[in-house]
Amino acid sequence: MSAVVSRIREPLITGNKTYHQITEDLVSPTEKTPTKEWVIGFIIAVSVLTFGVFCIIWTIWVGIGAWHLNRTINWGWDITNFVWWIGIGHAGTLISAILLLFRQKWRTGVNRAAEAMTIFAVLCAFLFPIIHMGRVWLAFFIMPYPNTRGPLWPNFNSPLLWDVFAISTYFTVSVLFWYTGLVPDFATVRDRAKGLRRKIYNVLSFGWTGSAKHWQRWESLSLVLAGIATPLVLSVHTIVSFDFATSVIPGWHTTIFPPYFVAGAIFSGFAMVLTLMIITRKLLHLEDYITIEHIESMNKVILLTGTMVGIAYLTELFIAWYSGYVYEQFAFFNRALGPYWWSYFGMMFCNVVSPQFFWKKSWRRNITLTFFLSIVVNIGMWFERFVIIATSLARDYLPSSWSLYSPSWVEIGIYVGTFGLFFTLYLIFVRVAPVIAIAEIKHILKTGGDQYVGENAPHHHHHSESHS
Amino acid sequence: MKKQIDNIWIGQQDLTNDEEFINSAGKEFAQDQVEYYDMPAHLSGNRRDFLKFLGFGLGAATIAAGCDIPVKRAIPYVVKPEEIVPGVANYYASVYVNGGDYCPVLVKTREGRPIKIEGNDMSSITNGGTSARAQASVLSLYDTNRFTGPKEKDGASWVESTWEKLDGLIRAKLNGAKAIRVVTNTIMSPTAKKALEEFTTKYTNAKVVTYDPVSSSALLDANQKNFGIRAIPSYKFDMAEVIVSFDADFLGTWISPVEYAAAYAKGRKITNAEQPKMSRHIQVENHMSLTGSNADNRILVKPSEQGVAIAHLYNEIAGGGMSTSGLNDRAKQNLSKVAKELKAAAGKSIVVSASNNVNEQLMINAINNALGNFGTTIDWSKPSYQRQGNDADLKTFATDLKAGNVDFVIFWGANPVYDSAYGTDIAASLSKAKTSISMALTNDDTTDLCTIVTPTTHYLESWGDVEAKKGSFNIIQPTISPLFDVREAELSFLIWANSEGIDKTKDQPYYEYLKENWKNTVFKSQSEFGSFQGFWDSTVHDGVFEASVSSGPAYSSAEIGSNITKPATSELEISFFETVHMGNGQFAGNPWLMEMADPVARTVWGNYLAVPVNFDGVRTMVGLNDLKDGDLVELTIGDMKVVLPVIQQFGQMPGTVALALGYGRKMAGNTGSNVGVNVNGSLTMGADGPQYFNTNVSVSGKVGKEKDFSCVQYHHTIGVRGIDAETNKEINVDESALVFFDYFTGVKGFQGALTDRSVIYTSNVKDLKNSIEHLHEKRKEAQHLNEQQIYRGYDHLYTLGHHWGMHVDLNACIGCGACTVACMSENNVPVVGKHEVSIHHEMTWLRIDRYYYGDVENPNTVYQPMMCQHCDNAPCENVCPVNATNHSSEGLNQMAYNRCIGTRYCANNCPYKVRRFNWLDYTKADLWPINQPRLQEESIPFGADNLTRMVLNPDVTVRSRGVIEKCSFCVQRIQEGKLTAKIEGRPLIDRDVRTACQTACPTGAITFGDLNNKEGDLNARMESPLNYIVLEETNVRSTVTYTMKVNNRDQSFDA
Repeated sequence: MSAVVSRIREPLITGNKTYHQITEDLVSPTEKTPTKEWVIGFIIAVSVLTFGVFCIIWTIWVGIGAWHLNRTINWGWDITNFVWWIGIGHAGTLISAILLLFRQKWRTGVNRAAEAMTIFAVLCAFLFPIIHMGRVWLAFFIMPYPNTRGPLWPNFNSPLLWDVFAISTYFTVSVLFWYTGLVPDFATVRDRAKGLRRKIYNVLSFGWTGSAKHWQRWESLSLVLAGIATPLVLSVHTIVSFDFATSVIPGWHTTIFPPYFVAGAIFSGFAMVLTLMIITRKLLHLEDYITIEHIESMNKVILLTGTMVGIAYLTELFIAWYSGYVYEQFAFFNRALGPYWWSYFGMMFCNVVSPQFFWKKSWRRNITLTFFLSIVVNIGMWFERFVIIATSLARDYLPSSWSLYSPSWVEIGIYVGTFGLFFTLYLIFVRVAPVIAIAEIKHILKTGGDQYVGENAPHHHHHSESHS
Repeated sequence: MKKQIDNIWIGQQDLTNDEEFINSAGKEFAQDQVEYYDMPAHLSGNRRDFLKFLGFGLGAATIAAGCDIPVKRAIPYVVKPEEIVPGVANYYASVYVNGGDYCPVLVKTREGRPIKIEGNDMSSITNGGTSARAQASVLSLYDTNRFTGPKEKDGASWVESTWEKLDGLIRAKLNGAKAIRVVTNTIMSPTAKKALEEFTTKYTNAKVVTYDPVSSSALLDANQKNFGIRAIPSYKFDMAEVIVSFDADFLGTWISPVEYAAAYAKGRKITNAEQPKMSRHIQVENHMSLTGSNADNRILVKPSEQGVAIAHLYNEIAGGGMSTSGLNDRAKQNLSKVAKELKAAAGKSIVVSASNNVNEQLMINAINNALGNFGTTIDWSKPSYQRQGNDADLKTFATDLKAGNVDFVIFWGANPVYDSAYGTDIAASLSKAKTSISMALTNDDTTDLCTIVTPTTHYLESWGDVEAKKGSFNIIQPTISPLFDVREAELSFLIWANSEGIDKTKDQPYYEYLKENWKNTVFKSQSEFGSFQGFWDSTVHDGVFEASVSSGPAYSSAEIGSNITKPATSELEISFFETVHMGNGQFAGNPWLMEMADPVARTVWGNYLAVPVNFDGVRTMVGLNDLKDGDLVELTIGDMKVVLPVIQQFGQMPGTVALALGYGRKMAGNTGSNVGVNVNGSLTMGADGPQYFNTNVSVSGKVGKEKDFSCVQYHHTIGVRGIDAETNKEINVDESALVFFDYFTGVKGFQGALTDRSVIYTSNVKDLKNSIEHLHEKRKEAQHLNEQQIYRGYDHLYTLGHHWGMHVDLNACIGCGACTVACMSENNVPVVGKHEVSIHHEMTWLRIDRYYYGDVENPNTVYQPMMCQHCDNAPCENVCPVNATNHSSEGLNQMAYNRCIGTRYCANNCPYKVRRFNWLDYTKADLWPINQPRLQEESIPFGADNLTRMVLNPDVTVRSRGVIEKCSFCVQRIQEGKLTAKIEGRPLIDRDVRTACQTACPTGAITFGDLNNKEGDLNARMESPLNYIVLEETNVRSTVTYTMKVNNRDQSFDA
């Protein structure tokens, strides 16, 4: 890797870190007793998760009738949440795969947590297509397994089946990618650990010794996985968007959906990464590793994808008008001005207007504003999915069947519960694994550390050396 | 060698009975020294022990898992009845009768259980049509609230008794009684009348009091004066070119709606689109009734103006000189136009009224007489006995009872405490009668106050006869043995009268009595049959017998008094109306009818105050007092105050509100009790009986929100026209009302959002040519678009064999809803209850969408039966991840319930929104009953008991929780039809397969058949130029075809 660093690049690691300090800073959270904040957070997360589990059991026990979906609006919060969580996951893959291929060094500060977020988000997402089934105990029918019923295969024409493959592939690759990155770090943790902990981390790190051959294989695998994961960034949400795009419902039947969904997914994913990282860097004192530079970079992505999403919204409106098709025209008219106008308004404001603040550099670098807007963006992206799913269904072809829908406490409980699941997993993650990829951050120390680059670095022009 | 087999030895040690060997023989590896691992003592054991434990564990688990599964009893016949073949249905002719409600039917029985009602097409009155009430009547047979035997009141509670004991007791009390009254609704049975006559002959102080829950007393009294006979003529709506109805809901509830609907539809169908002809129908009313919604023009008058409205027409046509002051000008103008139309169609018109004022009915008769309608469109040769109630008699009874002059009352199928205007009085003074007997099927508001219950049989368990019209006889034959210890009411009367015609040693004494009576009466009046047995067998088989009748009485004028309804000056008036599904409460206990959507308001489970709605000129539909659908209001009528929900009703006259009768029963079983409000106590008492309106009424503003507002249709119009206040131009106001928030831009809605949809096409009969051209252009465009697709479709697959399709004639559909109940009955569609309907969880496979169009203040209506369209390019099919819904080679869109996992994707992707999801365990089919939903607060959930389950159609799978279901085109009937044709060795014709909705329809609006059968009934219908396919441009290739709705509105009425 070339180490030529532009002089205007800002350092990615501050605090004049040495390799040992990095190890200390990043491994120590897994070694200390949990902080009070962590314990409180964990208790809350588990409690919320428990309530979510209760609501899921309630749904399965009573039937989907525990929700307020109806004969017109057969998907509501369930699939909205599904798409929302899946979308959030996309940032992790993008950061780990595409940014790796593009040699974006700033990714090292956030990739570990973002990948973890991807996995947890996909888990939360995957829950919804399962529990939204009327007969969840027969969910295995969707798997193409050899059987004695003919054999009877699933319907390969159905986008829901494509979802099954897309999401399970996505999950598998994400886990592999994440874990591959963790192997050398687990070895680092192991090397400092004693007793049982050492044994466990030894197993987790697959007996990593740090030999050159290990590093070489590790690098190759990372690259191969990045190559596999890159198309997934585009394909998963494309296929999710097919759930809608291949239907006949006005507002769903739209060819723009694949790129629009992917942009939206990255948009919301980065917002979620920001929300998480701003909290994490604060609580784990990682300001030296997740710098304002990182935040600004991510805000740029948000600005870009947010604007893409905005263009998609306007394109939809234009095409609806241009189509001359009354159902399509009314679907969009109804979205904006109909009974769910507030959700359309919320979507437009949160997703299109709010990222525009980031045109201004000082606002991009403002942590408070970034934190606030990252949450606004995720609210907006939730609205987007709700707008697409519920408002399109609410008033489709036959006026006789038009309906309205608001969730029951069970539906809200399950959604809240997925936050419990997400944060429970995330809080466990920060306790057992280094939140920042130690090996990778060390990799960029010489090119990203503030003792080498940026304003504070000594200005000798030949500090750069080759790293393999 | 053989000898040694008995005692095999496998080694020398064995042969020598070596001790060590014998000891080790039981061990697993006897030859070798087996070293067991060191084991804790409590875990000692070897492989065999492990297998033993495994075996025991497995066995125990199997038994434990198996023992709680409920045992389903299936008991074979010991002696199989000759006529029953398991799996093959038997049909028996009978008659559905409930008071004056009448419908000759064929009862479908399976393995001895009646499960479905079909129309009897041999009937000259209904011609095979049915009503929702008739369709639902089979469910009442299996009502868990039915009395299981005679009961006596002990203090406040009922105790079981026996027939012997009660017969003795009753006879003793009858002998000592001063004044005996038998209170009934209309009785159309000649033999029942004979039985009552025997009873009143034996007990000379006994009188029969007959009334109808919704009175037609004045009509009968007027006819008595004009024709000397207290009956109702036969109206021939098919022969009428102009039909004027003053508030008479003759398509829904008035006298004989099934008969009238069929005839009416004949005059409304467009058979020749080149020279279209259809009758003109003008309805004079304040509330949008089912009949009014079908009318071409509605003339709005307040309920209190009905009298002067009739008088105005009477003056114009018959030259009367009645005062018409108080009639609104617009109505006056329009009625004058109607008079001209009527005169032009003299002899080919009908004027009817539901008025319960004798003078008003005399005017109607005079009008018809002046128009020469008697003898042409109104036939007196076969007068109808479908209403016989006499309000004066009931009033006398109530007065006598109150005065304590009646000491013995028998209520036979009548519930006057609830459904008469004297209910409060009767309830308060019933205890003054020493003995009060109810012969009800289930507990009702009157029965609850009686001292003895001698429950009668359901008509499906009874013998009986009916003479609904003079000379038109029917036999009621039982289709199942009485389920409980109950007895025909007629038999009870005969036993109490010690009738000589009753031989109690006989198995079915009333059957013998009935037969004997027929032998002496009907049999003698005919000459076709020589032997009585032949005559009887034929009549029982056919269910109908037509005796020849002589010509009827002629009109003789009678003096018309000036006492007609006086227009009131009050600001607000309320009218009370009967609905198709509730009657005046007689049907409140029937879950199918309770959950049947009101055809007009589309509400279920309760009566909703219909308030007028108008357009504010901007973008809001404003109800009376700013009320919106589902708002609770306080309604004050006289001194009665009730809180009830409202529904904005298009076509409701400003200054009036309306409320359905039949709700708010206190005692109507698990389903009907305390649903809605009872307004029978608020009827105005006129000179001739109760008047179905009140002028002393006020409606408050919104006082709350109905908890479970249950209306199956939130959006009511397909576009109605009105004036935009700003531009003063005519716009489609409902399209403006679709805007909820305009971002302060003043956006006025999306003109064309509703009217440009290819859902409904309408036309005035005068514009038909242009409209058909327009329709064909639209269709051509849609078809052109569809041809541009890359999707080629599979149409070629359906050109061979059968290709099922349907045709629905919107000009014949009157919206009565018989098909929707028939569908529930045929296909085991569950009832879900009010709360579930309120969140749009209704399960109906077939619904009738009702749309208003035209003028916002006084719109026309179109009814559109909507069921699965069995699209040949079905969007539901390709999205199911597990192939649970797929297409048959005959073009059917099929559901494999067992395969369905309930993703509901198909339901989302259905453009017609006809797919229904089992949100809860509605059919109570789950193994564990813990999560069964209830309709009301019933202890055993509806449908969870074995009695109610007897009504299920065994040919149709009961669906479990979590699966999608929908109209199957009655695939079980298709299969049956195919088998019939195959057994008879001939090609299938369209008549072999008739869907449940098709057979139920009284007007023949639905035709089902094989699109590949070019000679079939369906293809004959497919030739109409009015045909269209709903949402044709979506290229889903629906196989259901509808016709353009044509009206004969005179626009000048709106001026």
